[in-house]
Amino acid sequence: MKHLAARRLALAIGLSVPVLAGIAAAGPVLALGAGDDDSERLARWKEIQTTIFGDRKVESTDTLVSIDAPGRAMDASLVPITLSMPQKDKIAGLHLVIDDNPSPYAAKFTFGPAADPSEIKLRVRVNNYTNVHAVAETKDGKLMEAVRFVKASGGCSAPMGMSDEEAMKGMGDMRMKFAGEANPGKSLEATLMIRHPNFSGMQMNQVTRDYTPARYITKVEVSRGSSRIFTLDGDISIASNPVIGFSFIPEGQEPIRVVAVDNQNGRWEHSFTAPTASN
Amino acid sequence: MWKRRGRALAVLAASFAIIAAGPADSPVNVPEPDGLWTGPARGYTPATLQGARVVDLDGLDALIARDKPVLIDVALADQRPTNFPADRPWLPTHRSIPGSVWMPNAGAAPLDPRQEAVFLSRVEALTGGDRTRAVVTFCRPECWGSWNAGKRLLSAGYANVYWYPDGIEGWQDRHPTTATKPDPAWEARPRLDRPGEPLR
Repeated sequence: MKHLAARRLALAIGLSVPVLAGIAAAGPVLALGAGDDDSERLARWKEIQTTIFGDRKVESTDTLVSIDAPGRAMDASLVPITLSMPQKDKIAGLHLVIDDNPSPYAAKFTFGPAADPSEIKLRVRVNNYTNVHAVAETKDGKLMEAVRFVKASGGCSAPMGMSDEEAMKGMGDMRMKFAGEANPGKSLEATLMIRHPNFSGMQMNQVTRDYTPARYITKVEVSRGSSRIFTLDGDISIASNPVIGFSFIPEGQEPIRVVAVDNQNGRWEHSFTAPTASN
Repeated sequence: MWKRRGRALAVLAASFAIIAAGPADSPVNVPEPDGLWTGPARGYTPATLQGARVVDLDGLDALIARDKPVLIDVALADQRPTNFPADRPWLPTHRSIPGSVWMPNAGAAPLDPRQEAVFLSRVEALTGGDRTRAVVTFCRPECWGSWNAGKRLLSAGYANVYWYPDGIEGWQDRHPTTATKPDPAWEARPRLDRPGEPLR
């Protein structure tokens, strides 16, 4: 109902729902263009690498981190990404870079002792056909990268299809879902949902022709008791209404506490009763 | 207070203007406006541009092989959020059809006459003053900018205007793109009082 109303509003103001699907549906996935394209993309990645990591070495890996994403995204403003780190005990943090986004450094996860860093899921905005890099930071201080090419376009500037006021309704509300019961010695998957438009600052209001100022979540801290699960440093490349999938070690009785802050001094704190493994 | 009222009026006026312009809520049978399209830059576009030829990717490939057309990209540049923190990397990049000349937002309408003159003189230079030279305008799908740019060229007397509505997205479906800088002459155009002015 709400969706319908939003859509009707969108139509009324002459705003087209981003229809990339029509293009995305056509044809097989083609190999990357050769030559210049590849070397340009590599040069771009080196530039970003230097900006983020300075002169630290970044090595390729086939085992420490891998990226799963649709080769072609149906909606460029909502591209699901899954990052897998099977050797979880080695992982201290994770950097996600969307090379061709104007603000390429999409997310940085820092894992705490209560985390199981084997898998992270999130949804991002993709501005153009681009390489996506995941860089795992190991506990012994190495940076290990994996790359995947994603075909999506226009995600950073795509309007939300509703008014800014509507998009901000309930801002800071959160939910958390758990995938079943806690078992001793096993980690548990959880999904954190935060209501927040995460305005990129690149989205134009189609009626006033003004750009909606950037308002996005800069930090999310998730912990259980005194034990940190993860900290996320976010950016305008995170999709609106962030949904973050993670795993944790279900020990202790305390609720899971989430603190989110945005770049406009918004701060929201919520606690969730979490399953506990009973021996 | 006055400012707020002025803004509210502007919004109201904009809404009326858009209603009057008859925005398309379906991609089918979008009518051509009489002149340039002054409504929202994003939205369904017509299937035609009277006086110009509309090309798909096959048509563009053939045209490039045959006529070596001048390729004019009018896609908008990424807008740096005004409140974007200085300590985060902001590295916009624009990938386009190799060999194209990028004049961001040159399909805006209305366009300041001095800016329009820069656009036309650039195309004149790129075509060597030959009004029969093939010129292709493009931006992105559902972007009126390239339609307007084509319309401007028709009004200026260009005889072989091609409009490629699938734009950069359509191109990169089959071909590599190349990182492209804005055209220096276009970048040096007289600016309006508001930096980062959106398409109007």
